[in-house]
Amino acid sequence: MRTESQRQDRAAGARRPGVALAAAVGIALIGLLAGAVPICGAADAPPDGNALVRAAFDHYRGKASTGTAVMTIHRPDWERTMTMDVWTEGDAQSLVRITAPAKDEGNGTLKKDQDMWLFNPKVNRVIKLPPSMMSQSWMGSDFSNNDLAKTDSLVNDYDHVVTATGSRDGHTVYTVHSTPHPGAPVVWGALELDIRDDDVLLAERFYDEDGALVKALTTSDIGPLGGRVLPATLRMQKADSPSGDKAEWTELHYTDLSFQDSLPERLFTLTNLRNPAS
Amino acid sequence: MKIDLQMAWRNVWRNPRRTWLTVAAIAFACLVLVFMLSFQLGSYATMIDSSVKIEAGHLQVQAKGYQDDHEMRQVVEDPAAVGRVLDGIPGVEAYTSRATAFAVISSEERTYAGQVVGIDPVREAKVSSLESLVRRGSFVSPSDPEGALVGDLLADNLKVGLGDELTVIGQGRDGSVAATVLTVRGIFSSGIDELDRTTVEMPLATFQQVFSMGGAVHQVVVTAKDLWSVPAIQRQLAAGLEGPTGVDQSPPLVVLDWNELMPGLLQSIKVDLVSGLIFYLALIFVVAFSILNTFLMAFLERTREFGVMMAIGTPPGRLGRLLLLESLALTAVGIAAGIVLGCAVTLYFQAHGIDISGANELLERFGISGRMYPKLSVLSALTGPLLVLVITGLAALYPALKIRRLRPVEAMRHV
Repeated sequence: MRTESQRQDRAAGARRPGVALAAAVGIALIGLLAGAVPICGAADAPPDGNALVRAAFDHYRGKASTGTAVMTIHRPDWERTMTMDVWTEGDAQSLVRITAPAKDEGNGTLKKDQDMWLFNPKVNRVIKLPPSMMSQSWMGSDFSNNDLAKTDSLVNDYDHVVTATGSRDGHTVYTVHSTPHPGAPVVWGALELDIRDDDVLLAERFYDEDGALVKALTTSDIGPLGGRVLPATLRMQKADSPSGDKAEWTELHYTDLSFQDSLPERLFTLTNLRNPAS
Repeated sequence: MKIDLQMAWRNVWRNPRRTWLTVAAIAFACLVLVFMLSFQLGSYATMIDSSVKIEAGHLQVQAKGYQDDHEMRQVVEDPAAVGRVLDGIPGVEAYTSRATAFAVISSEERTYAGQVVGIDPVREAKVSSLESLVRRGSFVSPSDPEGALVGDLLADNLKVGLGDELTVIGQGRDGSVAATVLTVRGIFSSGIDELDRTTVEMPLATFQQVFSMGGAVHQVVVTAKDLWSVPAIQRQLAAGLEGPTGVDQSPPLVVLDWNELMPGLLQSIKVDLVSGLIFYLALIFVVAFSILNTFLMAFLERTREFGVMMAIGTPPGRLGRLLLLESLALTAVGIAAGIVLGCAVTLYFQAHGIDISGANELLERFGISGRMYPKLSVLSALTGPLLVLVITGLAALYPALKIRRLRPVEAMRHV
């Protein structure tokens, strides 16, 4: 149950800071679900990896979106659920606010470009998260702050190559292998994505620099959502999680999603993070 | 046999000056060995005690798995019950409870990841040296629920001083967001980077409330009256926690000793011991060679005498035995003198201590006083000299064996 950064921290002798932060879970997930770009071209040759990933990203993220999601953190002896409202705009802006349970209500995160802030209503403070904390787990889940925040990094910081073509449920599925650009500010050694021919992201696998699998995201419940065909459920599981009833995973399920052309700028400000207007 | 002993003894004192010099060499080596070994072993006890007093304690009671996973849910449900068991164990000096969480620690200007520890303001001072490590400001106090101690490196990083506010946001025992604002009341410096750079200490009661702990804690930290009684206490504690009158919970409670809590400590001591041993062996070998020199000289200058003795019928084996007895007598005198002097010197410093004021500043940071005390024990008093005995015995074997090859006629003619 360790993120890759936690393993690195251990090796460096540091303690493992697992941090509960209200971060923008929905961002990456909304990104996954939003998207209004139809990929055209049913070429016989596999499509260009970069274009494919861009298309999948645009498909799940769209220009702007509003939605509600439920996150379930599952451990062998314990389970916890949280409900949150998510707004995204463009590639790099998102706002998440937790609405349930009552104890956590009002906590929120705002992401703008590379910066991320978190708000806690009980102490009424906005805290800017330092980059060193971006790999930490969000609210004890298997998602990291990074997972939720840096969605456009997927498109821009990697080279994508289609390595395999298969089929599933009547759709062609492309497996894309992504290697980070040299010097790119990413924590992963490599990624692998399974993208369907209608731009639906089926799975994403995260590898460290030694090529070992660290965690994997799988999507399910693919159907109409917000006017597009998208998976409603995403499950993140660490590679070293045991299987069966000792399994540990986190699941994000969209109950509601809609796409817009744009959202007001004032939504993605620190003031709004503190005092929700909408 | 009696004649042999008498002859050996007289032969030893035939050349008193040479004999005294050799005895002095052996005695000196033994003295050094006794003292240094006592010093090493004594300083280890001090080192261990000082190191464990900073944070870990001699023993801890934790939920099983906590030491590896540090999960918020792995708690000691009823620390008071554990305390009652501890009250019944002799040899326990003091105990306290602690709870820890990882959190975002934020000042006005900076934010860092770190850990927040809830400590009992009254009991903690008796168990750890934390209170004495507070360099500025004051310790946590029951009358100040929002007051906190910050490690000096963390305070620098966060750019906070006394009286500044810190926001702490973490995850509670039930997974909910736990947040609070603390005021910096004191800044501590332990010399241990990991502690000073990542730790904020706050009152346990506030911690339990903020992090939804109920009455539970993560660790019950115990100090013993002395290091040697730790294994016995561990056994009694483990027995006391189990059984029908024990403390029952899930996950079950385990008792860890300082060795399991700070594995690096014992290892670094072992490394130090080994490097000390290398030095001792070197010393012993130097002494052994000097003794070999003495014996050889004694042997060579008596070649004519040995020749005569063999001519009148002394078996070569008996001559060899004679030589060995001589060396044994010599060494015994040296070792006896060495042990007596070594013990005297060690006991003197055991009472008065050795002042290492040169390194005082360094030691202060670790909470060790500037005086080190050697500790004389049967082990430290006898190990060194016994090794000397063995090795000089081996050195003496060489001339003893050589004697068997002696041919009487040639020997008698030897110059």
